[in-house]
Amino acid sequence: MEQGIIKKADAGELIAVLGGKYIVYGPVKDDEGVSLSKVGDGEDITFEYSNFNLSPKGLFFPQSEVIYTYDDSVEAKESLPEERFIVFGIRPCDASALLRLDEVYKKSSPEDPYYIRRRENAVIISMACKKPCQTCFCTSVGEGPAAKAGADVIAFDLDDSLFLEACTKKGEQLLDIWSKLLQEPDSAVLESKQRQAASANGKVYALNSEGITQKLQKKFESPIWKEISQRCLSCGACTFICPTCHCFGINDEPCGSKNRRVRCWDACMFKEFGGEASGHNPRGMIDQRLRQRIMHKFLYTAENFGDVFCVGCGRCINRCPVNIDIREIITEGTQ
Amino acid sequence: MYSMEKIAAEIKESARDLISGKRVDLVIGYEKGSLALRSRPCFVSSVEDAGKLVWNSLCTNNLSVYLPRYVQKGPQKRKEDVKPVRVGIVAKGCDVRSIVGLVKEKQISRENVVIIRVPCRGVIDRAKVETQLKGNEVNEYKEDSSEILHLTTVAGEEKTFSKEQFLADACLECELAEPEDVDIRISGTAKQTFPNRYERVREFEAKSREERWQHFKKEISKCIRCNACRQACPNCFCKSCFAEQGKPRWVGAGTDLSNTMFYHIGRIFHQAGRCVECDACVRACPMGIDLRLFTQKMVKDVAEAFGYIAGLSAEEKPPLCEFGDADGQGLITTL
Amino acid sequence: MDSTEKGSGDKEPRVVAIVCSWCSSISAELAGSGRNQYPANVRVVRVPCAGRVDALYIVKALQNGADGVLVFGCNPGDCHYLSGNLLARRRFALIKNLLEYIGVEPERVQFSWISGSEGSRFAALVEKVVEDVKKLGPAKKLVKADV
Repeated sequence: MEQGIIKKADAGELIAVLGGKYIVYGPVKDDEGVSLSKVGDGEDITFEYSNFNLSPKGLFFPQSEVIYTYDDSVEAKESLPEERFIVFGIRPCDASALLRLDEVYKKSSPEDPYYIRRRENAVIISMACKKPCQTCFCTSVGEGPAAKAGADVIAFDLDDSLFLEACTKKGEQLLDIWSKLLQEPDSAVLESKQRQAASANGKVYALNSEGITQKLQKKFESPIWKEISQRCLSCGACTFICPTCHCFGINDEPCGSKNRRVRCWDACMFKEFGGEASGHNPRGMIDQRLRQRIMHKFLYTAENFGDVFCVGCGRCINRCPVNIDIREIITEGTQ
Repeated sequence: MYSMEKIAAEIKESARDLISGKRVDLVIGYEKGSLALRSRPCFVSSVEDAGKLVWNSLCTNNLSVYLPRYVQKGPQKRKEDVKPVRVGIVAKGCDVRSIVGLVKEKQISRENVVIIRVPCRGVIDRAKVETQLKGNEVNEYKEDSSEILHLTTVAGEEKTFSKEQFLADACLECELAEPEDVDIRISGTAKQTFPNRYERVREFEAKSREERWQHFKKEISKCIRCNACRQACPNCFCKSCFAEQGKPRWVGAGTDLSNTMFYHIGRIFHQAGRCVECDACVRACPMGIDLRLFTQKMVKDVAEAFGYIAGLSAEEKPPLCEFGDADGQGLITTL
Repeated sequence: MDSTEKGSGDKEPRVVAIVCSWCSSISAELAGSGRNQYPANVRVVRVPCAGRVDALYIVKALQNGADGVLVFGCNPGDCHYLSGNLLARRRFALIKNLLEYIGVEPERVQFSWISGSEGSRFAALVEKVVEDVKKLGPAKKLVKADV
């Protein structure tokens, strides 16, 4: 089935008919607001949210992952994640960000088997945006509030109904499972969806990022890095909440009577990220680290993978404690 | 009457005088941010740039975190013939205590800092504004001299609020005591009374042990180990944080709950006798962890057990470098 | 299952006793030579002075299998380094209060002063603390799981 519509009040039935074969992650209200959490029977799903605090990358590339444990003998038991899951309600920017992570962990060598398995096990249902935030700028980096990149199914919130449109074969298969619960949309529904997409598109903050990759090639020695990094705290919050940032570190540590090797998120903004065994640190100053992060995001990845690694979700702008605004950096970078 | 414009004008004038009189090389203050509800740190080194400086209830950052970068005492400085950088800094009451704390711990030299003390009547917590406006974003922010906020939403609605209802938690329990040793006093009266000192901590202490444990666990579970709290804190200036040492390793990386708890217990304990409750850590945290409930416990214990308030005088010895006859009451196990 | 809710698994508690090299370990030796029996649950760690005990040692012990921590120091006035034990007092008060505040049972973390001649008192104190910890059961909070 390629598209269908269902009343929001009946959304719980979509979960029920899955028969527990999939774990569903969706927008759930909690003390902090709305977060992407395991959904129960669907009663707890909310549609009143702009975006989640944390990006969904943690579902595929977890903050901490035990690779293996060992004591006197090293027995690296590889157990690939089996659980199938549906990720519902992520925004098109975040869905597109997953394609960036695919470039790094799926299409590059060596492949990450854990990441690949999780991607295979998941069905992505993105939720198109009705009302972009002040901090969104997806349209300026090749994304959009109703874009389909990265989604298996894209959903549209049409007030009392939910319109679902398959974008991939996997999405069609999921809609087939739901086919008895979904109605065929009529032309009014399709028009309403188009209007919503166009309206949202028009509301997103637009800036000119034309040629950022080429222009940055000449800006390694530019004084702008020292200027922008003056107020940077090198805290790493931007990196951890970014949906495309993907660096990790590997650490061995004791636990109980055994030891374990853990992979966890790392950030080039951390001082010790570039620290070498000799003690030398080629990026010991904050301006060097900020330059590295921006260059990696807009130049090096574009050269390596053909795409900038920013989807315009605006989380970093929202959460930076000192209001470093990546849009200002892009504008400077394109001068 | 508390006029933001008047105070800002005086700050600008002080900055111009300091720079043109060559008394400082740099003034650190606040400027307008890129979003309606943000003011952000600003680094002014010319008389013209002094015009960027602002003052309002969005000036939340504790600017003393930047001082060690400029006025660090040797011998950390390289053996070059470098003239010490002299810095003027705009500081609220809690920020002045941070500066004094840094002087006391020999991280900065007092003679190279010019403290511009601003009369603070509390800063606002933008999360409280966002909750009140139920997801409607603010396009324009104005504050009048009766401390009434005039907010215009993105939808064009104008709303007024008294600043009182949005005051940051730190300001609702402000310590109020300030050091005498400042260089420039901007005219105006700081807030004189805030009731409820330590009330939240007392309420928490009165809860059952299991309740307290569950709450601590719930809050700390949110942590993604981004280290923003540590980077934003002016007291966390260690070149090698305990959380990053590997030989031997104090605490593992990653979000294993035991490791995360160890990190927070360690960081909070290291604040004993030093924390000025500026809440920079709380604001920096991207996950909204209630750090204040735990940092304030240390402040209260030190005040009640040792009669010590952090940052009032650079000559006063830190409480953990001293001992008193009354110490250890009820602490020692006897038969 | 999160890593902090698993216990040490043993029925007998494990208590780490951190003793200073002067009064405390002398009294510990005296307990031994005077044949004053004290429970074998105790693992003794010797440090130069109670003032050397970083507050985080206590937390690390609880994290890694200790059900209780007992720190011994010299009596105030008797410290070989003059004031090590006095500086330790403030530190211990703060860490004990902080751990209690977050919900760790206060009886798991105890401190005692002892003089070098008190062999039997050393044994008695160790026994008391082991009893206190036994009543609480295995430490479950803060523990890093055996993954």
